[in-house]
Amino acid sequence: MVLLDRLATCQLIVVTGKGGVGKTTIAAAIGRLLAARGRRTLLLEVDPRESLHQLLGTEPSGGSILKAGARLFAQNLQARAVIESLVREKVPIGALARKIIASPVFQHFADGAPGLKEMSVLGYALRTVEGDYRHKADVVVLDAPATGHGASMLAAPLVLADAIEGGQLGEMAGDLAEFIANPKRCGVVLAALAEEMPVQEAIELIALLKARLGRPPELVIANALYPEFPAGRAGGPAAGRAGTAVTAQALSDLLELWRQRREVNERELKRLRRSWRGPLVEVPLLPLDRGPRLLGAVTSVLAEELG
Amino acid sequence: MNPGLLSRRLLVVVGAGGVGKTTLAAALGLQSAQRGAATLVMTFDPSLRLKDALGVGEEAKDQAVPVKAGTRGRLEVALLDAKTTFDRLIRRYAPDAGAAERIFSNRFYRDLAGNLAGILEYMAVERLFEVQSEGQYDRIILDTPPTRQALEFLEAPDRIMNFLDSGAVRLALRPWWEESGGLGRMPMRLAAKAVERLADRIVGRRLLRDMVEFFRAFSPLYDGFRDRAQEVRNLLRAPETLFTLVAGPGPDRIPDTLFFARKLREAGHRLGPIIVNQIHPDALAARREEFTRAGDAFDVGLDLFAYLGERDARGLEQLGRLLSHEEPLLAVPLQPVPPTDLTQLAALGQIVLSQKPV
Repeated sequence: MVLLDRLATCQLIVVTGKGGVGKTTIAAAIGRLLAARGRRTLLLEVDPRESLHQLLGTEPSGGSILKAGARLFAQNLQARAVIESLVREKVPIGALARKIIASPVFQHFADGAPGLKEMSVLGYALRTVEGDYRHKADVVVLDAPATGHGASMLAAPLVLADAIEGGQLGEMAGDLAEFIANPKRCGVVLAALAEEMPVQEAIELIALLKARLGRPPELVIANALYPEFPAGRAGGPAAGRAGTAVTAQALSDLLELWRQRREVNERELKRLRRSWRGPLVEVPLLPLDRGPRLLGAVTSVLAEELG
Repeated sequence: MNPGLLSRRLLVVVGAGGVGKTTLAAALGLQSAQRGAATLVMTFDPSLRLKDALGVGEEAKDQAVPVKAGTRGRLEVALLDAKTTFDRLIRRYAPDAGAAERIFSNRFYRDLAGNLAGILEYMAVERLFEVQSEGQYDRIILDTPPTRQALEFLEAPDRIMNFLDSGAVRLALRPWWEESGGLGRMPMRLAAKAVERLADRIVGRRLLRDMVEFFRAFSPLYDGFRDRAQEVRNLLRAPETLFTLVAGPGPDRIPDTLFFARKLREAGHRLGPIIVNQIHPDALAARREEFTRAGDAFDVGLDLFAYLGERDARGLEQLGRLLSHEEPLLAVPLQPVPPTDLTQLAALGQIVLSQKPV
């Protein structure tokens, strides 16, 4: 089965990786591919500073659900808002719920309790696909927040389920941990740059997923690669570009920068492949500003590689 | 030489993840030591390459380790580890060994306390304070956690203080289920019972007990802990402290950079140079067509580099316009390879320090 078919059977796809690796672009591209496959798809961004809308060419979400194409929806989700709406649900008396939410104890709990925000986001995704809300989706693509370790989002339910043991929160944590660990329902896509630290972190995250959740990611994406450097043509490029305002020195410096940056990419890809034998897709660095055209180009690359 | 960066005793390097903060902190540390200052670089999670370049390993988690750099002033590196620091702090403030052991063996502490929001960040500033007050260095360069919201780090002392001052802890300490208090307090106790039942239904009794035990075991430590948080807070705003913001190139990164700069100023920190790192050269930008229509295998790459050079120059120009404040903007070119030894690291530091503000 091609990988895209496999991803299209999932109910939740978590796109994880460090900040600055193009996670949001990858998540949006996967969302578009799934929507194109006929899946009603909700793209979730969990970052108070919205950027998903720039790629989709929509207005900022501001917390509400926006239509971003056929069967494609986008939402900027604030974990705090989910936690508060949970309180309103559990405490049916409005005045009391308001009092709880406004109390400093609750504020500290909502801000500080380990794993609570992660759980509330995952819980929101689960309830979205299970049809608990007015909006329903076949699949949620979650652009996991870059804060903390990449695994903290995925491991949160497990950690909490262990620590709590009982109570509604404990049960919820247990359900979510099961959902995350089930590769039939939840897919993990890991985005990285082919540079030293991002690759190191990717390798560690893969190991952690296997150890903690008993499952590898479905897919690893090496994003923003410099193009291959044409081999064996040292004096070539300058000859075809002679007589211009750019000095030979500037041009040769630039070629050297390209060659060496590409070398770093290749070395790190090799290192990544040594510890990851599953699907790995390479996405080139593209000469496009962040926006719908970039998203379109990345979506095409993924369509080609995954389809 | 650039005036700002090495002018104070404490330099705090902040910025989004993946912009080369840690490498720059090490490079600046090396330059500081070369200029004769006994320097400590405190960092979170350096790459293997950087650790190799500096010649330090995991042992730097427990104490600062000297770097054999042959500089005029000595250079040391310390790796920040939240758990190690938290443990050490508890040992320091616990009234006796038994109290410390009670905390260490508490399940809440073991499983969750390390994940409490702000704890990792707080432990870093705590360690900074410890080192600073020992006074063994002329300069400390502090690399901050690799998160996009690295500013949580700076807010950590305030947050911990608020937490300790809020009712949360006192509430947790009150023994709801123990028989105490006279009949007059009956209504209170009934209300508390109701809260307890609700909490029990939601988070379960075991977690509650673990938490209460933890906070009880922790309570003799509060005063010391709180005073320290206050002192750390002051240190981060003291005249001897300077912040530098490291940013990625290109217009995409500008919102991040502006956000950080604004937050730092709002919090009353002294912001020095803003370093825009990893800038692609724009040698080709104006001649993009000429260079990318030769019909050979180099077209694609040269077109990309022409775009990247143009993009980064555009980002720099926009950022300069948007930053209405007086912080100098330093543009640091993308290096062909990340530094792998002390010589390359020193060279990078030299490049940063020799940049004229844009």
